[in-house]
Amino acid sequence: MSMKKNRVLIFFFIAPTVICLLLMYVYPVLRTVAMSFFHVESVTADLDAWSFNGLANYDKIFHNAGFITSMKNFLAIWIVGGVITLALSLLIAVILTSKIRFQGFFRAAIYLPNVISAVALATMWVQYIFNYDYGLLNQLVTFLGFDKIRWLGTDAKLWAMIAAFIYGSVGYYMLIYISGIEGIPTDLYEAATIDGASKARQFFSITLPLLKGIVKTTITFWTINAATFYLWSKLFSPVQTEGSTIVPVIYLYDTVFGGKGVIERDAGAGAAVGVVLTLIIVAVYVVTDRLLKSRDLEY
Amino acid sequence: MEKIKRKSNWKHELKMLPGYLVVIAYVGFMVVMLGWIIGASLSTSREIFTGKVLEFESGFHWENYVTAWKTQNVSVFFGNSLLYSVVSCAGVLLIAAPAAYVLSRWNFRGSKTIRIALVIAMSVPAIMIIMPLYSLSVKWGIKGRVLLIALYIFMRVPYTAIYMLDFFATLSHDYEEAAAIDGCSANRTFWSIMLPLIQPAIITVTIFNFLSTWNEFFMALIFTTGKEMTPVGVGLLQIVNSMKYSGNYGGLFAAVIIVFLPTFLLYLFMSRRIITGVTAGGVKG
Repeated sequence: MSMKKNRVLIFFFIAPTVICLLLMYVYPVLRTVAMSFFHVESVTADLDAWSFNGLANYDKIFHNAGFITSMKNFLAIWIVGGVITLALSLLIAVILTSKIRFQGFFRAAIYLPNVISAVALATMWVQYIFNYDYGLLNQLVTFLGFDKIRWLGTDAKLWAMIAAFIYGSVGYYMLIYISGIEGIPTDLYEAATIDGASKARQFFSITLPLLKGIVKTTITFWTINAATFYLWSKLFSPVQTEGSTIVPVIYLYDTVFGGKGVIERDAGAGAAVGVVLTLIIVAVYVVTDRLLKSRDLEY
Repeated sequence: MEKIKRKSNWKHELKMLPGYLVVIAYVGFMVVMLGWIIGASLSTSREIFTGKVLEFESGFHWENYVTAWKTQNVSVFFGNSLLYSVVSCAGVLLIAAPAAYVLSRWNFRGSKTIRIALVIAMSVPAIMIIMPLYSLSVKWGIKGRVLLIALYIFMRVPYTAIYMLDFFATLSHDYEEAAAIDGCSANRTFWSIMLPLIQPAIITVTIFNFLSTWNEFFMALIFTTGKEMTPVGVGLLQIVNSMKYSGNYGGLFAAVIIVFLPTFLLYLFMSRRIITGVTAGGVKG
């Protein structure tokens, strides 16, 4: 097992992965960051066609109505969607770790939306649940004696999309919380029960504090998902980008690769959008890491 | 005694009632949705619009599946996704397994950097890499299926390597020492002894790679240039978009079911493995 003897082996075993890292991640990330400080029209433009323009790309996107709208929608998805998703998945995780029957079935069924094609799932929502003519929600609404609602009309569309997205996401965060809860020693709860602490009290004084690290992880994951939110927006406004569902990545795609209503392509501005989103993710990670400092609890 | 026990059980179940209601409502919604979609995939457009989906007055319209498969090109999309998923699953293993092995065995110069880079790469958003990748692919003249497969392989290398690294680390060094005494080269020891030993991890990680590639959408949307290389996700979007011209809603829902089935069936048989795998590999990243 000496390293010297196996030098050649190590080299050939690690080389493909190093090439992958450089080609797929290091080079592209560096180039995207650099591109955000240059005026670059076409994404395929050579370096000598780039002209440095400092922070002009950032200035441009933050003065662009489309980008501002997309950021507002991002905030709605991130904050409202995040609070509901994380709370709901924690609630279901607590339910499914208590003494309840068919735990395995419920866990598997609630995680299911994460396994099937998101395009198929979103199509089910758009073409069935929210459909005006025969959709499930409007059948329910007419059954209750109200007028049909345009769920996919301009006003409601963003929230319809967020609701559908939340429903599909909960299973994943639920599994993360379940693994966290199952890692808490049961004798803590036994001791608390003997001391007469209620279930609610146990949740707030044992479960939640010990899940700090896990909560941190889920907030980071949710931020990544919200910042890179794309597919659902595309499926809810498939043909043309709409203000009601536009998100930063849609704006980026249209700016770089062209879309309806985009007059000039601007790869530099697209890169700036990517950098802004990445900075948001990193900032959220750093802030939650500070706020939820989990002093390594010994138990 | 028996009676008391049953009574307390009953009492316990009643106390859990709100909990049951939440999870039953959650799952029930999905059952209704899937049930209706399956019903609609076997109905005519007229039945769908008049709200008679689960009555099947005019029988089961299996021809919706034939239409979707043949006329709406689902067969092409399906074949492409299968090709991309299978080839990239194999490709990822070929690249990531040896790397995971040497990273778990030796601390060589740069090994720590590579480990950290792999973990960071797992959470690099696609939007930070697609633009340079696009221009690289144009410059080097790589396109079509080869390009997509290469991208799908590279996309899964970091996760796969990190996932397997933990499993290799648990293997005893005795295996290699014994193999060396028998005159087995390090290279052969890896492929014929060490790799088979982590077979359970290989299966789990391959399931996740398969799911991820089958369901991938963003890269496919950017890098596919023609119908003949389109995978299911983007293909389904195209079908949805052409709906207002074809008006064949039964066919649309049949296409949805066809796209939905492969990963659903995989999940039906592997749900336990998948559920344990989610938190084993995912959370650490």
